Amino acid sequence: MKRLLLPKPVVWIALLGLAFLMVSSGAAWGEVLKVSQPDQCLYPDPDFAGQPLLPVPVGAELNVLSQAGDWFKVEYQDKVGWIHRQAFPAPPAGSKFSLGRLIGVAPVKETKSDEVALAGKGFTPEVESAYRQKHPEMKFAEVDRIEAVRIPPAQLQAFIAAGGLQP
Amino acid sequence: MRNHQRILALIMLLILPTVWGCAAAAVLPVAGIATTGVTKAVQASREITDSEEYYLGRAVAARILTQYPLYQNHQITTYVNEVGQTVARKSSRPETFRGYHFAVLDTDEINAFACPGGTIFITRGLLNSCATEDQLAAVLAHEVAHVANKDGVNSISKARWTEVWTAMGAEAVRQYGGVAGNLINLFEGSIDDVFKTLVVNGYSRTAEMAADAGAVDTLTKAGYNPQALADLLEQMMARGKSGSGGIFTTHPPTSDRLAQVKAMIKEAPTSSAEAKRTNRFKKIVQL
Repeated sequence: MKRLLLPKPVVWIALLGLAFLMVSSGAAWGEVLKVSQPDQCLYPDPDFAGQPLLPVPVGAELNVLSQAGDWFKVEYQDKVGWIHRQAFPAPPAGSKFSLGRLIGVAPVKETKSDEVALAGKGFTPEVESAYRQKHPEMKFAEVDRIEAVRIPPAQLQAFIAAGGLQP
Repeated sequence: MRNHQRILALIMLLILPTVWGCAAAAVLPVAGIATTGVTKAVQASREITDSEEYYLGRAVAARILTQYPLYQNHQITTYVNEVGQTVARKSSRPETFRGYHFAVLDTDEINAFACPGGTIFITRGLLNSCATEDQLAAVLAHEVAHVANKDGVNSISKARWTEVWTAMGAEAVRQYGGVAGNLINLFEGSIDDVFKTLVVNGYSRTAEMAADAGAVDTLTKAGYNPQALADLLEQMMARGKSGSGGIFTTHPPTSDRLAQVKAMIKEAPTSSAEAKRTNRFKKIVQL
């Protein structure tokens, strides 16, 4: 069996590489993010369709527990829930190159490619977020309330049956 | 020492491809979109996606709510959603990106609005003008048909939508200074286009006729009496001379609409179930 031999300079380069990663890693987990957009809510799951747990005002500081795609799992007022990244339009400082994100589920993005990728997707939550920032008078919180109204399937079936309608 | 070196080499072998892999993932879209920018003229006519329609519709709804307050009555809101969901599931487009949602606007004005993606508003004035659950279902089925036919989205000017698509090219992003520049303006312009159609000018006569046809089909499949739509149109036409603005502008009730609906209705017996539905409507809406 061949033995793997490393010359000394390689060892030093490897050590320097590791040190660079450790130093430049943003603290994605344990990071505190400040909400800068109005009408934000904490959700039980990373999905706007859920019933919001509670509103999160501008200026609120949230402890980040983890991240999945565009959603942050956060702790706020003794509650744990999910908030969309539209609440923080600017990429959090120091999180651009996070070791935690490299080994986690979140994509690594840089601002420039973010902008281009964003444009490539057309009308997205990020575009909505920028529009909301420009037009704070728009009633998005009420739209969220409308979307939160859900008729459970069993309730709908009972309603249909009671009205002699087609199931 | 040799063991340490081997372990270190393995760590680097594991970590470095991960770093490079992610960096590549961040760069790749740029190349892909740069290509899109080159071929933008060819792809300018692509259709709006369901998720884009949803975000556009949310913004249109948010804008409508700046003009009309939301009617805060849990029982009525739940009931309107029950009727709305009953018809939506039998429509030609039973599913949208985030589903259908129904809400009541607190105004005496008689009108209804279908936002792209499936948020549908009925005014308290129109709700009170309905005499039965079947008439309410007829209004909601007509609005669901506008969503299914994408009439709101289709009111975005072709020139603007072409520009939206071209703005998605990397070249345009560079030219306009990123997404915060042009794409937001185009989003805003598209909201304006849809809002003006929904609230100010109304749909085309062709779109209204198609929505009526869709509503009759949906009502029949759901088990509601489609005659309710004809009754409602007749009622609106009778008010026609005195009625102005609201639904009389955005969904003008006309004799050709009524004739089409009547021609489509094959049989419309009043059933005991319809009477039950009317009773629950009166208990909840006409408190």
